[in-house]
Amino acid sequence: MSRRPSPLLTLINMVLLSVPLLLVSPAKAYGYADPGSGAFLYQMIYAAFLGGTFYLRKLLNRIWGKRK
Amino acid sequence: MIADHEAAPPIRSFRDPAGTLFHKGDQVLRQVNADAAGTLEAFLRTRIAQEATECGKLITSSRLSECLYEHERVAFPSYPYEWPAEMLRAAGLLTIELAQKSLDEGFGLKDATPYNVLFRGSQPVFVDVLSFERRDPLHSAWMPYGQFVRTFLLPLIASRHFGLHPHETLACHRDGLEPEAVYGWASPLRRLMPPFLNLVTIPRWLGKSGEEPVYQPKQEASAEKAAFILGILLRSCEKQLSNALGAGSADSTWSNYHEQKSLYTAGQVAQKETFVREAIARARPRTVLDVGANEGHFSILAAEQGASVVAVDSDPVVVGSIWRKASKQALNVLPMVVDVTRPTPAMGWRNQECASFLDRARGHFDLVLMLAVIHHILVTERIPLEDLLRLMWEISREYVLIEFVAPEDPMFQRIVRGRAQLYSHLTRARFEAAASERFELVRSEQINGMERWLYLFRRRHANG
Repeated sequence: MSRRPSPLLTLINMVLLSVPLLLVSPAKAYGYADPGSGAFLYQMIYAAFLGGTFYLRKLLNRIWGKRK
Repeated sequence: MIADHEAAPPIRSFRDPAGTLFHKGDQVLRQVNADAAGTLEAFLRTRIAQEATECGKLITSSRLSECLYEHERVAFPSYPYEWPAEMLRAAGLLTIELAQKSLDEGFGLKDATPYNVLFRGSQPVFVDVLSFERRDPLHSAWMPYGQFVRTFLLPLIASRHFGLHPHETLACHRDGLEPEAVYGWASPLRRLMPPFLNLVTIPRWLGKSGEEPVYQPKQEASAEKAAFILGILLRSCEKQLSNALGAGSADSTWSNYHEQKSLYTAGQVAQKETFVREAIARARPRTVLDVGANEGHFSILAAEQGASVVAVDSDPVVVGSIWRKASKQALNVLPMVVDVTRPTPAMGWRNQECASFLDRARGHFDLVLMLAVIHHILVTERIPLEDLLRLMWEISREYVLIEFVAPEDPMFQRIVRGRAQLYSHLTRARFEAAASERFELVRSEQINGMERWLYLFRRRHANG
């Protein structure tokens, strides 16, 4: 049976995997307010980081739930 | 064939392809395209839209036909470049609150600019109902995030850290401040500290990296994850807005003037208050303009007597303090950063998107207050007395209350700075004679122990 990865490793993996994926997704015109360039990239990276914390939180909830 | 001087049609709002806002007489109408009409109607039926409308946070809308809506008219529109930082922050907090609450109903904001908000008295109201669109539950990006940063957060940062107030930054930059501009103003150390690091420095680095972003909201694996990310992003915007003004309010030349720096004794202030109260009881104004309102002592007094007050001053710090007081007590006072000697011009495309202050003010006010301000206009700005009285005559529908400050007054002497010869003609007799051209004297009174007189005038209607 394989070992469950540590929450910290899961988080780091998520962030590292998400950033390059974001930069290669296809372009699409959207909305009319200018999303900016740096601010948009920053948001994407921040979202990737938050996505990692989402899984981390789920993982912790699962562990916490089992122990309970 | 096109004529050389063909008149341009009146401006309708034009940036949002989903619809257009225009005025017809006193009506504020919104024409919506067929696709957007369904979305708008669905949004207006949501619990959040109905609750926000009931508590005055969202403008009321009634559907006149399939694609035509009428909105409530806000009595006196004010624009972001006429707000102190406190009001810009309040408009931002309302924007974030509605963005957060509408998420649960499956809607999101497609733009986030302070032009979506007006103020009813001191209370912000979100007016651009077409800003709400159905959101893809799997999208985690908030597309107007960049616009929110440029038009709310960075102007507030510029105000707090560099003393550049929204009336200065937003008057020149419709779409707010770019991170690159703010980066240039900040010291190397400050660039690495919050909130500069995440709002200015990192976006600038990313923007300069040459990597063109792909403008597509990220599709998340689940709606739960997308809502989690979006919720945190909006909460972080809310937190940054809440912290944007710092712990204490700034001081300026005119802040605390009434309490600490003025020449008046408590008895003289009480005498002025009595005169103003009696004038308001007599004039029973529905609308009052307080010119040079300072910290709003008399604006608040007028609002407490039931008037709808617009309080203008050129100092954004004192205007911010009026807003804090009025907002706390939910008073009907709209504070605005306006210098009556250089009033806000008409702005936007063809100078027709936002009316000038004077176009909004002319004939709007039943009573105009000019307390302890006339000497600054006549001496510091060198506006001719007759011109000033003419402007008051144009703005007022009925009454004008002026505190005349004679050349012998110590404050008058102080601002004359040795140029007494230039202003020796500004006597009380000259003032009364000039005023009588346009106004009838209702009553006047000298402030005890001062070279200052209070006048209540009634406008002569036949004069042109």
